[in-house]
Amino acid sequence: MTAGDAFHDEDPLEATYDRALVAWLLGYARPHAGPLIGCVLLLLLLTVLQLGQPYVIKLAIDRVMRPATLAESAAARQALGEQLWPLVAVYLALVTAAAVLQYAQALWLRVTGQRILAAIRASTFAHLQTLSLSYFDSRPTGRVVTRVTNDIEALGELYTSVLVNLFRDVFFVTGAMIALVWLDARLALAGMAVLPLVAVTALAFRSMTRHAFRAMRTQLARINAMLSESLSGMRVIQLFVRQERNAAEFGAINRAYYAASMRQIRVFGTFGPALSFLTTLALAAVLWLGGLRVLAATLTFGTLYAFTAYLRQMYEPISALAEKVNLLQAALAAAERITELHGTRPDVADPEPAAATASLSAASVRAERRAGPAVAFDRVWFAYNEGDWVLRDVSFQVEAGETVAFVGRTGAGKSTIMNLVPRFYDVQRGAVRVHGTDVRRVPQAELRRVVGVVMQDVFLFATDIAANISLGSPAVDRAAVERAGRTVGVDGFAARLPQGYDTPVVERGLNLSGGERQLISFARALAHDPAVLILDEATSSVDSETEEALQRAMGVLAAGRTMLVVAHRLATVRHADRIFVMHAGRIVEQGRHDELLARDGVYRTLWRLQADGAAGR
Amino acid sequence: MNRDLRRFFQLLRPHRAAYAAGAVALVLADGGQLVIAYLIGEAIDALAAGTATPSIVATYAVGVMACATVVAVSRYFWRVLIFGSARVVERELRQRLFEHLQTLPAGFFMRRKVGELMAHGTNDIAAVELAASLGVLAGLDAVIQFGGASAMMVGTVDTRLAVLTLLPLVALTPGTYWLGRRLHAAYGHVQAAFARLSDTVQESVEGVRVIKGFAREGGEQARFETANQEYRRTFGRMLRYDVAFDPMINLLAGLAFAVGLGYGGLLVTDGTITLGRYVAFNTYLAMLVWPMLALGWVTNLLQRAAASMARLDALLDTVPSVSDAPDARPLEHPRGEVLLRGLTFRFAPDMPPALADVDATLAPGTTLGVLGRTGSGKSTLGQLLVRIFDPPRGTVFLDGHDVTTLRLDDLRRAVAYVPQDAFLFSRTLAENIALDPRPYTREQVAAAARLADLERDVHALPAGYDTVVGERGVTLSGGQRQRVSLARALLRDAPVLVLDDCLSAVDSATEARILSALRRYTRRRTTIIIGHRVSAVRHADEIVVLAEGRVVERGDHATLLAAGGEYARLHSRAQLELSLEDTAP
Repeated sequence: MTAGDAFHDEDPLEATYDRALVAWLLGYARPHAGPLIGCVLLLLLLTVLQLGQPYVIKLAIDRVMRPATLAESAAARQALGEQLWPLVAVYLALVTAAAVLQYAQALWLRVTGQRILAAIRASTFAHLQTLSLSYFDSRPTGRVVTRVTNDIEALGELYTSVLVNLFRDVFFVTGAMIALVWLDARLALAGMAVLPLVAVTALAFRSMTRHAFRAMRTQLARINAMLSESLSGMRVIQLFVRQERNAAEFGAINRAYYAASMRQIRVFGTFGPALSFLTTLALAAVLWLGGLRVLAATLTFGTLYAFTAYLRQMYEPISALAEKVNLLQAALAAAERITELHGTRPDVADPEPAAATASLSAASVRAERRAGPAVAFDRVWFAYNEGDWVLRDVSFQVEAGETVAFVGRTGAGKSTIMNLVPRFYDVQRGAVRVHGTDVRRVPQAELRRVVGVVMQDVFLFATDIAANISLGSPAVDRAAVERAGRTVGVDGFAARLPQGYDTPVVERGLNLSGGERQLISFARALAHDPAVLILDEATSSVDSETEEALQRAMGVLAAGRTMLVVAHRLATVRHADRIFVMHAGRIVEQGRHDELLARDGVYRTLWRLQADGAAGR
Repeated sequence: MNRDLRRFFQLLRPHRAAYAAGAVALVLADGGQLVIAYLIGEAIDALAAGTATPSIVATYAVGVMACATVVAVSRYFWRVLIFGSARVVERELRQRLFEHLQTLPAGFFMRRKVGELMAHGTNDIAAVELAASLGVLAGLDAVIQFGGASAMMVGTVDTRLAVLTLLPLVALTPGTYWLGRRLHAAYGHVQAAFARLSDTVQESVEGVRVIKGFAREGGEQARFETANQEYRRTFGRMLRYDVAFDPMINLLAGLAFAVGLGYGGLLVTDGTITLGRYVAFNTYLAMLVWPMLALGWVTNLLQRAAASMARLDALLDTVPSVSDAPDARPLEHPRGEVLLRGLTFRFAPDMPPALADVDATLAPGTTLGVLGRTGSGKSTLGQLLVRIFDPPRGTVFLDGHDVTTLRLDDLRRAVAYVPQDAFLFSRTLAENIALDPRPYTREQVAAAARLADLERDVHALPAGYDTVVGERGVTLSGGQRQRVSLARALLRDAPVLVLDDCLSAVDSATEARILSALRRYTRRRTTIIIGHRVSAVRHADEIVVLAEGRVVERGDHATLLAAGGEYARLHSRAQLELSLEDTAP
């Protein structure tokens, strides 16, 4: 039974306490040092206010109640009773002040914690933005998203369970201990005699709960994995009449989870009561020894009372401490994964400022209207995975203002060429040059203002049409958006939409047709006006009216710029200045449409295939 | 709401003995603590009255320890009994849900998302478990501890003092209830903000090519920061309620103690109660705080459980639309004769027919090829035969029986169906091939793998047949997955075999090799090969070409080629493709 084992790879368990990790975390806390220190000071005050409460009752017992039980006359008793009111007033003041302070302190601390988390999220996201495509290619989207969201949420536990509770508990325990010693050092010693036992029990508890929780988490992950897998594969399960067997297997995991949860219940059922038993043991010891001292008149009743109260206040947090340490560990495990992300360097990195060349920028290319090759591949070898060559020794030049097309079957390497011009990946051998400059010697942002890309698989953001065209770039104002929209024909369908250009593109463009989405992406490219445009033509079939619109738009886009088109429908590129035919990572033929057709080669076969397909439609 | 709560309590009913025993243990645990408080009070009184001797003091201390032992043991038992029962309830409910989901047909899973169903299987069951454990505990404790502590107050201390101190504590119940509701609502906003934050990150990861392509990293950062700050603010609003619980409890409990100090102190000074009773009273008072909180809690927990119960019941009450008829017939020795008669099928009454007026007769051992483009209805044909969807009555027959009158399990054992999307489970390769629950030897598994041209691939895997594959395991190629899926069907040795475009991800040369190797296997079985390539169907006894649900051509390979229609056109196209594959780079 192995179902779901693969889901355990992210179990947030063993985190080794790591000084670098803590230093990293403290780095984010430093800007908030003021509020954090303020919160600690408030906590100190709060501890005093709360520990003061049993002390007021001690005073009432020693100064009012005990003398009253000894008093002879009713008048003397009444006089003593009058003395209660100032004590009640002080008690009320302590209670109210403590409640207000506790609320303010907790809110301030946790709001500060949220600010720190927001800063960690922002810097994590910012780092993610610098990583290269290869990072995203090799990881499922969900896992990347988790780093920025859920992992940082787990880190948040650090602020709620550690900064808030652990600190408070430590203050309370220390405060209660000081109070005990201050009241009566010898009796305090008796009350704390079981402390080592409590510590040992709590430690044992800690390791056992950790194991119990880990077992539960593991089994629950298996349950969820099997449930999710069975839901996705239900058709197969039913076709193979496997329901009964499947239910039995699910039952086995379900029972294993049950067994793990029962173990956890028993662990808690043993240690929780054991810890409070030890507290009561301390209480009984104090009662016995303290009672003897009261008999010998070396201890007051009030002190005995205060002792019982402080002992409870001391032992309660100690019992809970163990669980909090476990939470801390889970938070540290999450922190470790986040720092790991922060430690990842991009494969495609900007050149050092010293090595960068300023000779390529959008402004310079446009200003100089450079002639000569706009894009050049010089003996390029490239593989996404080492040794698995996708491009083999590819060389070509595209002159400025030229429109060239790349054709070939799926996997021939066309799209890879399109990925290399804007330097989404770095070549292994050879060089890619844009307007004479090696792409590795220009900052990526600068290069991509010169080289624009329109992808086959149009990606629309869940905002409105205008924002999808401008992409929020300050260089593209509303007028530019509408101009681009008008030029490529977005106007035609935008006008029919309820809010025109401000209509939201619901759920990644589901309410728009493929052709309409393609037009938006054309408008996007036109609005950003790159000198070199890469266009990976969509394969999805569109109706003939849209196809015409797309054709017209492509013509507009080509005007005044260098264009590299990956063509799936050959008919759309027959007017290209040159056509490169690719096969198995190499350019095997090149020329104009009619030249290539005249030759009995790959292009001719491709053309016949498509012509045949079109006829059959 | 009431109905859902009733159904929740129905889940607990079978375990009422355990819950009752847990309640008894709870009574002992709570009672023990009350006695401890009482004993301390009595000890103080003995000391105050001067009647105590060292041995009497020691007796009280021993009495406290004895009670503490009872408390510790009963605490263990109520945990195991009450929380343990809740875990049994959870386990049973989860199993029931799982088994019910397995009875629901494909149509159901097309309408409901896996994520949504998963949420029921996790969150809703967790909510029910929480109510069955903490909810029940809080409810019982609210009664037992409240009853015990207030009885001790009234019985051994002073009724008026009890009533006066209870006044501030009573406010705890509505306070907890109100704060709990506000917190729950605020938490809903937090989750929504978190979802928006996640969406933003997800979008920027999915759209990373556009963002990088247009150098818009800065803009993305700003967009993210907006969502990030919005989340932080929403979280901050929730914190206003979240951090209010402890101060509220401390304030109200503190008020109660202040009343106790003032009025109780007066009662001590005028001799109505003893000092020891006052000290004990303070402990009783402390013990009242939790039941008051619990009462507020119980309401929230039960409300959430009822809401979850309603969602779970809606699932559990879903009647499967494809199931055995009451008088379903068994099919003991299927021969494999398939008949389609005037088969017309629509997925919904207002949709155009997916299949229109299709006829076919397959004698046992013959092969039918079904050729058509995407959307021609060719897959629907196979799906109706195995009742992934139910065909209309009197249209699809196996061995002369209308398939809708047969027992579903028997029908599916008689027809081995290989779907286009090869779904692998994250198990070993051998387990994936031997998916059929009947026992198979390793040799049989290997033979099926050999037939599906999978053997060489198996030997290349690190652990051979014991390699864990599937969605997240070692990634197999699409073609390999399809061949695993094929092997799994071949292993079943059913009289009817349906190959539903199941080799679309392997190249045509491999497809041809597999199909020709299969020919000996299919000669003894009724076979339906559904495909979009001529090469897949050319050797069939009869071939039908489907377009928009209708049979547009039929005949064997030679006849159809000679006819020069759609089939012939597809054939010449396939020849061209083959020539391109042969082109040397």
